[in-house]
Amino acid sequence: MSGSSTSLKTYALTRLALVVPMVLILLTLVFLLMRVAPGNPIAAALGGHVAPSVIKQITHQLGYDKPLYVQYGNYLWGILHGNLGKTITDRRPVSSIIVENGGATLELTVAAGLVAIVVGVVVGLLAGRFRDSWIDVGGRLFGIVAYAMPVFFLGFLGQLLFGVWLGWLPTSGQASPITQAFLPIHTHILIIDAIWAHNWGALWDVIKHLILPATTLGIVIGGVFIRLVRVNVIRSLKDDYVEAARARGIGERSVVYRHAFRNALVPVVTIVGLQMALLLGGAILTEETFNWPGIGSTLVTYLENRDYAGVQGIVVVFALAVVVASLVIDFVNAFVDPRIRY
Amino acid sequence: MKRRLRFVLAAAGVAVAALWAVTGATARTTSSSSILIDGSTETVTNIDPAGNYDYGTATVDYMIFNRLLASGPGTNLAPHPELATKCSSVGGLATWACDLRKGVEFSNGDPFTSTDVKFSFDRTIKIKDPSGISSLISNLKSVTTSGPYRVVFHLGHPQSTWPNVLTTTSGSMIVDHKVYPADKILPSTSPQVGTGPYILSKYTPGQQAVFTPNPHYWGPKPANGGVIINYYKESSTMKLALEKGEIDMAFDAFAPNDLTSLQKEKSVTVYVGAGAGIRYLVMDVGAQAKKLGVPTDNLAVRQAIAYLMPRQDIATRVYHGQVKPLYSMVAAGLPGHIDAFKTVYGAAPNPAKAKAVLQQAGVSTPIALTIWYTPSHYGPASADEFAEIQRALDASGLFKITLKSAEWSQYVNTLGTTKGVFQLGWFPDYVDPEDYINPFYPKGQFLQNGYDNPKMDALAIKEEGAKTQEDRLAIVEQEQMLAAKDVPIVPYWQNSMVAVAHTDVKGIRSTLDPTYIMRFWLISK
Repeated sequence: MSGSSTSLKTYALTRLALVVPMVLILLTLVFLLMRVAPGNPIAAALGGHVAPSVIKQITHQLGYDKPLYVQYGNYLWGILHGNLGKTITDRRPVSSIIVENGGATLELTVAAGLVAIVVGVVVGLLAGRFRDSWIDVGGRLFGIVAYAMPVFFLGFLGQLLFGVWLGWLPTSGQASPITQAFLPIHTHILIIDAIWAHNWGALWDVIKHLILPATTLGIVIGGVFIRLVRVNVIRSLKDDYVEAARARGIGERSVVYRHAFRNALVPVVTIVGLQMALLLGGAILTEETFNWPGIGSTLVTYLENRDYAGVQGIVVVFALAVVVASLVIDFVNAFVDPRIRY
Repeated sequence: MKRRLRFVLAAAGVAVAALWAVTGATARTTSSSSILIDGSTETVTNIDPAGNYDYGTATVDYMIFNRLLASGPGTNLAPHPELATKCSSVGGLATWACDLRKGVEFSNGDPFTSTDVKFSFDRTIKIKDPSGISSLISNLKSVTTSGPYRVVFHLGHPQSTWPNVLTTTSGSMIVDHKVYPADKILPSTSPQVGTGPYILSKYTPGQQAVFTPNPHYWGPKPANGGVIINYYKESSTMKLALEKGEIDMAFDAFAPNDLTSLQKEKSVTVYVGAGAGIRYLVMDVGAQAKKLGVPTDNLAVRQAIAYLMPRQDIATRVYHGQVKPLYSMVAAGLPGHIDAFKTVYGAAPNPAKAKAVLQQAGVSTPIALTIWYTPSHYGPASADEFAEIQRALDASGLFKITLKSAEWSQYVNTLGTTKGVFQLGWFPDYVDPEDYINPFYPKGQFLQNGYDNPKMDALAIKEEGAKTQEDRLAIVEQEQMLAAKDVPIVPYWQNSMVAVAHTDVKGIRSTLDPTYIMRFWLISK
């Protein structure tokens, strides 16, 4: 027992220690790629409007004509002191972007994650349970189409059907302009802020705006889970303990839902955490499609403007989010599953 | 199984019905309030006037701040009083004195005086923000005050258009010296204090700017109870929001197809007014062209392109009539504008004359030429625009055009030093013909296309120092003719100022003019 907890402690410490070089490598790659790509933020903002001498002077003022290693050193020094810097184009502290826009992304990704889990688990379970029936074929087809479809295309279809033709749902934004203007903001997660303000009209407005983007992203991610859940349900249903349960006369429904299904979900939990990267990547496109004011669409704007500080800061946060999520899932798995040894 | 399936289907049906019932068909959610909700695809950088040089932020600044002089609305484009009641030159065009309006207060109740004017200009120069805004007032040497209601501007060299500079966007806006730091930008999320018709009551970067009427405003009360500007990344998303009634109006900017579609909608009105933005094709000349190996160092080649430019086809086929053919670098409708290119090259493409000018110069055809454009910075129609130019030049049999493109941040980095023949657009800093000539033709211009004509340089200096408007405009006409004959640049279209609004929104037409300022305080619903 003590050997097992020592090995778990060693595993945890090793994984935590590995986070630092992982993030450092990513930071360096992003730093170099941004510098190597043609164009710079000053020319992007002022080119075509002022003399080259003005652009040169401003580039010098901001230190972007210094040697790369000097710029890199300054940047790392800032990171070590918790200073992610300010964007060049609109002078926003990167930390405030994370807080203000990160709330919107968190709201979207959590809702989308829930949709993905519900869709993936329900459809996957039914497909596995009724293997080779029309339910199974339909479920598998749905999973493949959902996963293969570009999220922005699915988003456009959703906007057209539910926003334009049926007129049921809004097509863009995190809330209506009036709600956004007058709702007091505390967390930047508008569902929480609306509840905080006891403003039920605003709450419903925010939920309505969340439905389409969250469902769009959730369905695409759910496509991954459908296949996984199905395969695991089928595998579990063939296990000896299931046969034994049936032989003891336990009803089929109980065998499937109480025994096989729970065990089938264990590997799915691991995958759900690892899909965090997919969720964040999909969130960028979803935010672009639905004008969702999240950190993903902000990243795209800064990329278009070659805003070094903005891109570097946001990518660091994305990387940390994925790494932390993976770590948490690994720790949970290592803790609960006695079969895992290190 | 069958019973369970029926139950599941029934539950799904109830859920759909409930969703439909509570969401309902979307009516105009904004119709009951006097707050005007506008959509825009522009971006906002730094709201502090000393820290921005872009159109999107200037739109916000016009709501909160005032300048000493204004241009527009409508045809009243000459500089006229705003915070200054009068500005005139003193002993030559290098010194300008302005008398200030009395009894004006900032939105926090602080009195407006000459101290604020001096402070505003001094800090713009001192901060020298990376936005480049201080370059607009680069001719300003110092500002002195003479009592609480008079300021004197001392320029580096005589400039007859100094009053026009005082009407420009953010560089000339007046801030409260008690609130703004002298040596750095005030963050956009800090309270902004100006003398304009509105207070910026809430600003969420990238999302929304909320304005409420300024109770201390010296001018007429705004026609609405407040304004919300909602920012969109794509014009198609903004168009949907407008159609669904989530916003009352939208201005700047719609893609041509979106606008054409909106013109067919009964619930909205498309307003089109005079614009001041232009598009033009730049060609490397002289040593710069030789360095790159492009054939445009030969005047005949440039003239042939000018003869073949398909202005009307671009305006009709690509922009559905939303832009107008342009025959001078000076925008049509401005004093001093002449259709110089029409005079020299004709109104319509003329392949026969293009062929003749090449033959006379002994240039063998077809001429292989690469033309550059940027696919999204100037709107999504750029690719179609250049496809039309390629089609027209190739169809003449005189050119073999290859099109190349690069995204803006990469494209703008080098311009004439690497591109040879390339697309650009221009929006003026102030609505005067000088601002359509001086950035492009005199020595040191930003195009880096190698154009260098001492005659043009001399005209530019003469124009800046002209003592009367008549003299100045006569020089402007000479500059346009010279520009057409030398033809290092071929202008081809001028935009319109376009706004789309629901039918209950009034007053938009009054603010559509070449200044491109959307004066929300004149609009009601």
